[in-house]
Amino acid sequence: MTIVTGKAEARRRLQPGRSGALRKIWEHRADYGYVLPAIAVMLIVIAYPIYYTVELSFFKTPPGLQLRDKIFIGFDNYAAILTSEVFWKVTLNTLIWTIGSTFFSFVLGFAAALALHRDFVGRGVLRAILIIPWVISAVAASYIWKWIYHSDFGIIGAVLVGLGLADRPPNFIDNVSTVLPSLIVVNIWREFPFAMIMMMAGLQTVPDQLLRAAEVDGANAWQRFWHVTFPHLRNVSTVTILLLAVANFNSFIIPWIMTGGGPSNASHIWITHIYELAFGRQRWGVASAYSVLLFLMLMTLGYFYVRALAGNERKEGSA
Amino acid sequence: MTRITLGGAVLRGTVSTALMASLISAPALAAAPVDLSKWSPEYVRSIAGTQDFDTSADCAKVTPLDYKGRLTFWYQGVFEGDPDLLRQYYKDFFETFRKTYPNIQLEEQALTYNDLLDKFRTALLGNAAPMAVRLQILGGTEFASKGYLEPLKPEDVGYSTEDFWPGAMKAVTWDGVTYGIPTNNETMAFIWNADIFKRAGLDPDKAPATWEDVVKYSKQIHDKLGIAGYGLVARKNAGNTPYRFMPQLWAYGGGVFDEATANPTYQQIELDSPQSKAALQASYDMYVRDKSVPVSALTNQQADNQPLFVAGQLGMMISHPSDYNVMLDLQKKATGTDKDKAQTVIDNMRYGLIPTGPDGKRAVVFGGSNIHILKPEYVEGGKVDEPAAKAIICMWTSPEWSLKMAYAGSNPGNLNGFKTKWMKERLDKIKFLDVTTSMLPYGIPFPALPQSPEIMNIIIPDMLQNALTGAMTVDQAADDAAKKVKDLMGGL
Repeated sequence: MTIVTGKAEARRRLQPGRSGALRKIWEHRADYGYVLPAIAVMLIVIAYPIYYTVELSFFKTPPGLQLRDKIFIGFDNYAAILTSEVFWKVTLNTLIWTIGSTFFSFVLGFAAALALHRDFVGRGVLRAILIIPWVISAVAASYIWKWIYHSDFGIIGAVLVGLGLADRPPNFIDNVSTVLPSLIVVNIWREFPFAMIMMMAGLQTVPDQLLRAAEVDGANAWQRFWHVTFPHLRNVSTVTILLLAVANFNSFIIPWIMTGGGPSNASHIWITHIYELAFGRQRWGVASAYSVLLFLMLMTLGYFYVRALAGNERKEGSA
Repeated sequence: MTRITLGGAVLRGTVSTALMASLISAPALAAAPVDLSKWSPEYVRSIAGTQDFDTSADCAKVTPLDYKGRLTFWYQGVFEGDPDLLRQYYKDFFETFRKTYPNIQLEEQALTYNDLLDKFRTALLGNAAPMAVRLQILGGTEFASKGYLEPLKPEDVGYSTEDFWPGAMKAVTWDGVTYGIPTNNETMAFIWNADIFKRAGLDPDKAPATWEDVVKYSKQIHDKLGIAGYGLVARKNAGNTPYRFMPQLWAYGGGVFDEATANPTYQQIELDSPQSKAALQASYDMYVRDKSVPVSALTNQQADNQPLFVAGQLGMMISHPSDYNVMLDLQKKATGTDKDKAQTVIDNMRYGLIPTGPDGKRAVVFGGSNIHILKPEYVEGGKVDEPAAKAIICMWTSPEWSLKMAYAGSNPGNLNGFKTKWMKERLDKIKFLDVTTSMLPYGIPFPALPQSPEIMNIIIPDMLQNALTGAMTVDQAADDAAKKVKDLMGGL
């Protein structure tokens, strides 16, 4: 039985015909009040820039004019992007960069996590050492790797020549064929510790009893991994891969510092290309259209990320 | 003993005078504080130390020394490739300014050449620019044409337009209005290692006369000694690239437009001309065919060539007189046997005129920087303290400070700087200064167009990279670059 107080009844009468959603909001008005400042800040620093970027993507911004003198051209920027050769080249680079970096960072991180999951002397020290690339500033790492790769007096080249394995230092970043794989190696080096930490956390959730039971049933190491460990890590793997993919899609520092997108645009990915279009060439309209397309792609990835997280929560809730 | 190939007779001859005419106009020639028609190392020496200037007294006439105000100021400052000597002069300048104008609250920010334009453009979009800015010579026209800058001429800070290089004044003029004042102007020279030349079987005291010779010498050095011959630079978004390639392009008779002529109109695109393609071919021959230049040229800038040179791994390069001081700084930082090796390189360092093209044409970029005042609506807070801005501009562009701030790497924007006692001291202290001042008459300013930064920092390096990586043939790369310039000029 519901006891209705006079005060509550009066409040109900004040809001006749309120829908379910609005009623819920009203019921939680104090909660919404607490988050209102955060929502206001987000609207200013996130929603407005998104709106402005979308708006700008419909304008032409010639380099000889101020931004306020922009010219409305509808969807022309999008049409120009989708029909340009550079777009497809940069998109292919971005896909190679994102997939290559994500896949190998994950595999290497997972392998490192499996190795460190076992108990052995020096495990703590090794774990700390392996995390170093992740905590080093990306800017510093980029400069260090630029020197390591240097085509004339890089360390790798000097060692190879010194050992008689090469006549002259290999050309890593001044060659259109090798530059992108070389940058991906740097990115993997920097990112695999993140995957390692995530997977190590995931490995700790695999029940020992199940592994022991599988061993008693005669399962070998591979079978135990494939049938017991891996299924338990599926969700954390999904989340790790999605986070890596989003980070790589948005990656800027390594390619920009090491090559600036060159030589001959061979290492330009979306973000570096957008930066050059906007700040180097002042094509704010085209750069905005690129950004909108990138935003849509990342939102799609984000959708899958949220779904994966929700799936995790459902499973944990039903467990 | 150091012998410098100056080609003095040529300098004082008719070619020099004719090229000088491309930089200067007749009225300016008549009224300039120094006689530019007599320009030669000897003339520069003869006028050095002949006049004294009182900077604070001169600037007090523009802005009283007790003026109370606040100034935000960005400037293209020293970077990793500059010598320590220059760093000290920058420190001295700001200290002196604060002492001279104790009531002006100065908030200065130094940015490197390659970062300044991007950051300044971004700040302008957010109406958060500084009140005054010192930009590279390439940038002034872009911002003036867009209406960001206040009209500003030398007369506004107590000087005369004739006190400055006419070529430099062109770079701060848009649509007939002057929007800035040159702080410094320079031309580079050709540098080589005489010891490397000798070991490679070349005359150690003779610079390559033509660009064809550069290609030939570079190959000979590489083939005989296994080191890089010429310090080619082809990095994108780096000022070093156009400063080294454009002299080659102009020497071959090419250009982006007709900027190398006496009265450029910038109407006809010349990047795809046979002459321009020949210049690009010379770079291709060195990088691809002969492999006689650093492989890292596509990601390198001059600051990367300097350690190669001091390590005795590079035979020739184009740079400022300041590179001699940079070598001294690098030598000081070296240890063990590296120190001796560096000393050997320094002892064998030679400066000469930049080589000519096939038709005897010699050219170099007329570089430098300018100082400007922003319109209030683009400045943080919406206000510009004009007297404070003029105070710093008066001081920086004075004969004294325009020389001191350019002591090692450039030349005073204010021609009166050549008459100061510091110029005399500089001629004794800065080795090879004669050679770079001798190049001034051959200087060609970048096209005075708002599109110039994109052309020089992106399209030209892209053209080089497309050809040198084999992504395109030389012809295709030149045609592609010409099309990009055409699109750019068409507003695309």
